[in-house]
Amino acid sequence: MKDTFAARTERYVLPNGLTLLVLENPANPTVSVTGYLKAGSYFNPPEQHGVSRLTADMLSKGTMRRSKLEIAEALESAGARISFSGNTFTVSIAAQALSRDFSLVISTLAEELREPEFPADELEKLTQRIIAGIQHSQEDTRARAIERFAQLVYSPESPFHQPSAAQLIAEVERVTAGDLRQFYEQYYSAASLILTVVGDVKAEEVRGLIDKTLGDWQGAPAAQINLPFTPLQTEPKRDLVFVKDKANADVVIGHASMLRRANPDYLAAAIANRALGQSTLSSRLGLKVRDEMGLTYGINSFYAESGLGDGPYLITVTVAPSNVERAIEATQQIVQDYVTGGIREDELSDEQASVIGSFKVGLATNAGIAMQLASTELYGLGIAYLDDYPGLIAALTKPQVDAAIRKYLHPERATTVIAGTYVQ
Amino acid sequence: MFTKITEYEGIHEYLMNANQMKVLLSPRRAAPVVAFMVVYRVGSRNEAVGYTGSTHLLEHMMFKGTPTFNKHRGTQIAAVLQRCGALFNADTWYDRTRYFEMLPSDQLELAVHLEADRMRNSFIADEDRQSEMTVVRNELERSENDPGTILDERIWAMSFREHPYHHPTIGWRSDVEGVPTSRLKEFYDTYYHPNNATAIVVGDFDEQAALDLIAAHFGSISASPHPIPPMYTTEPMQEGENRFTLRRAGQLGIVEIGWRTPEAKHPDTAALAVLDHILSAGVTSRLYQALVEQQHAVGMSAHAAQFLDPGLFTLAITLRPGIKHEDAERIALDEIERLKTEEVTSKELQKARNMIASQLIYLRDSPFGVVSAIAEAEAVADWKFYVDLPKLVERVTAEDVKRVVTEYFITDHRTVGYFIPKTEE
Repeated sequence: MKDTFAARTERYVLPNGLTLLVLENPANPTVSVTGYLKAGSYFNPPEQHGVSRLTADMLSKGTMRRSKLEIAEALESAGARISFSGNTFTVSIAAQALSRDFSLVISTLAEELREPEFPADELEKLTQRIIAGIQHSQEDTRARAIERFAQLVYSPESPFHQPSAAQLIAEVERVTAGDLRQFYEQYYSAASLILTVVGDVKAEEVRGLIDKTLGDWQGAPAAQINLPFTPLQTEPKRDLVFVKDKANADVVIGHASMLRRANPDYLAAAIANRALGQSTLSSRLGLKVRDEMGLTYGINSFYAESGLGDGPYLITVTVAPSNVERAIEATQQIVQDYVTGGIREDELSDEQASVIGSFKVGLATNAGIAMQLASTELYGLGIAYLDDYPGLIAALTKPQVDAAIRKYLHPERATTVIAGTYVQ
Repeated sequence: MFTKITEYEGIHEYLMNANQMKVLLSPRRAAPVVAFMVVYRVGSRNEAVGYTGSTHLLEHMMFKGTPTFNKHRGTQIAAVLQRCGALFNADTWYDRTRYFEMLPSDQLELAVHLEADRMRNSFIADEDRQSEMTVVRNELERSENDPGTILDERIWAMSFREHPYHHPTIGWRSDVEGVPTSRLKEFYDTYYHPNNATAIVVGDFDEQAALDLIAAHFGSISASPHPIPPMYTTEPMQEGENRFTLRRAGQLGIVEIGWRTPEAKHPDTAALAVLDHILSAGVTSRLYQALVEQQHAVGMSAHAAQFLDPGLFTLAITLRPGIKHEDAERIALDEIERLKTEEVTSKELQKARNMIASQLIYLRDSPFGVVSAIAEAEAVADWKFYVDLPKLVERVTAEDVKRVVTEYFITDHRTVGYFIPKTEE
């Protein structure tokens, strides 16, 4: 039993609400830290789309004690790294260090989380880089297709909606250091912080260090997410985004997924998707549109954000402009056939074996283990879930997966967007 | 069956007596996972006009099956690997082509069997080439969408006039479309032999059991009936700066500069790696400070190529809107010039060494990281290069850095390209 995750992982909840998971893995003298804070873009104030992301990015741009450069100097000199990135509901934390530098990384992380300065000159630089990034993304056919898709499927109030580049730039330009400070005060707190530490460290020492650096951090109470499910669209839609001088076009076909991690049929829905389009090389879509028809280098289907919320279900295809219609037609036919006929028994057993095997492969690194632990905590599944997971997958039946296919895949009501140098 | 050649830094080298295939084993029992890779010493470096991109197209064809592994038997290569949860793929680069699987350790035999089988038994059928050619053409179209990728391709094309690093690994479009199946088959029969390959196993496995598996599956494959043809084209000295512009629709301007540098095995490679870090690694690096921090650029990256033959040190700068290409170029070149007169600080030197040393330790977190690093070293020098480079880096001095900048970063040996976004007409 000592080999189970439940037995190997120490879980601590500090009095301030911080949840810490530690798994000792002395195989290599390194340590990985992964974490989440509930401070993502869902919490942005109205018409301030950039605030959550800017706040997360500014954490590494200087604290009350040290400048950005001083912090970078300390981390880079040790070959260590800390990064924050804003998502829809959370801010993710990722850090990596040699074990001997673990306390350097944790004390720096705590300093950045607890005492950010939000200096105006750094904010100005960051704002300009983000704006340039938004402009740059306007060249990217995939980004343009997804942006238009999000505008067609989600209302502006939805966290899955994407504003136009012009609106986003205007809003980012207006953000002040005061806005960031306010957002920070409201959403950054130990109560919603999950940290997982995996590597060549001792759990007791980690606990001591976290107690010392973050144990007395209070901050706001944990933020709540109250998001209604996005209903499925009633009608299919189609749109084009013209992007000049592009040899390749990107096609996105999809709809609101109605799937969250907490749905009881989540695993059945995940298997349902895998057989259809998880792998460009061996799933149904790839076998036909890539391997047989040779139309694309990449075709995939996936739930883009089925975690705390129900983001879109998407099929993405890259294709030469001259092959756009053939690719769309073939894709729709494959999905339709899948919905009608369901998963084949051999596909089901292959996907079950595949999920169980790749779960094991994914757990081969400290970072892979840290990520799995952090997400079981974020979704409230419990550490033992990692031990139960292969069994849960193996127990899925064809009727369960077929029911998930019928419930979650709706090609007849999908929205299709084509972005590229393409005119109908 | 095998001759043990050497053992160094936890890696055991063997030679298969029957066919001269090199085998490298590095057991690391951290997790129940093993990585297997076969690297062939053939890349786009072995191509010429008319069949550029053939190495890569052939790599795609290697997924189309053998008499044992194929769609009709329900044993399609990707499907059998997917079924056991493997992380698998193949890729092609200038000096090498590699095929790899990372999978649960009890599945090692599948990877060994599959790679041995497709070393000599791939179909390479004309009908498969036709459908796969358009897949590869779409891959090419995808990369053409990105102005930065095209600019980089042109830098290499202009820096290398005679040597095959001139053409991109994916090939020229008309060659990809036109190359006949027979040419791919010829390529396969010329280079895909055990004596032109190295098989590498890293992770959770028993050494003797792995050798037995390799013997069982590769042992019956003969060495090539002919010597592997050497690539003998060399690039003459560049005589004067090359300069060009690329204009197409886009949003942000880019400046890229490439300087001619020596091959990976050259003693200056370690100093160039240190220089790369001092110039471009992290917020504290010199070019980040001069370009991004001072708001002339929104992004910057540098790369010191480590190839079998002399390559390039490239520097790409994505401009902040409103900044002139010439100004960003001048700022970058001023930083380079400064390195010719002033030595880097001991702090900078130590930071670069620490970063390079820690990267080596991080990649050991994953069997795939180790297997990739060994294969890359094997392709451009010798597998020992993977562990020796950080040791060489430890010995690099400030004077070495100054010397390599002075020697390689000269006007006559550089190529400068500007991507200028075309505004709407």
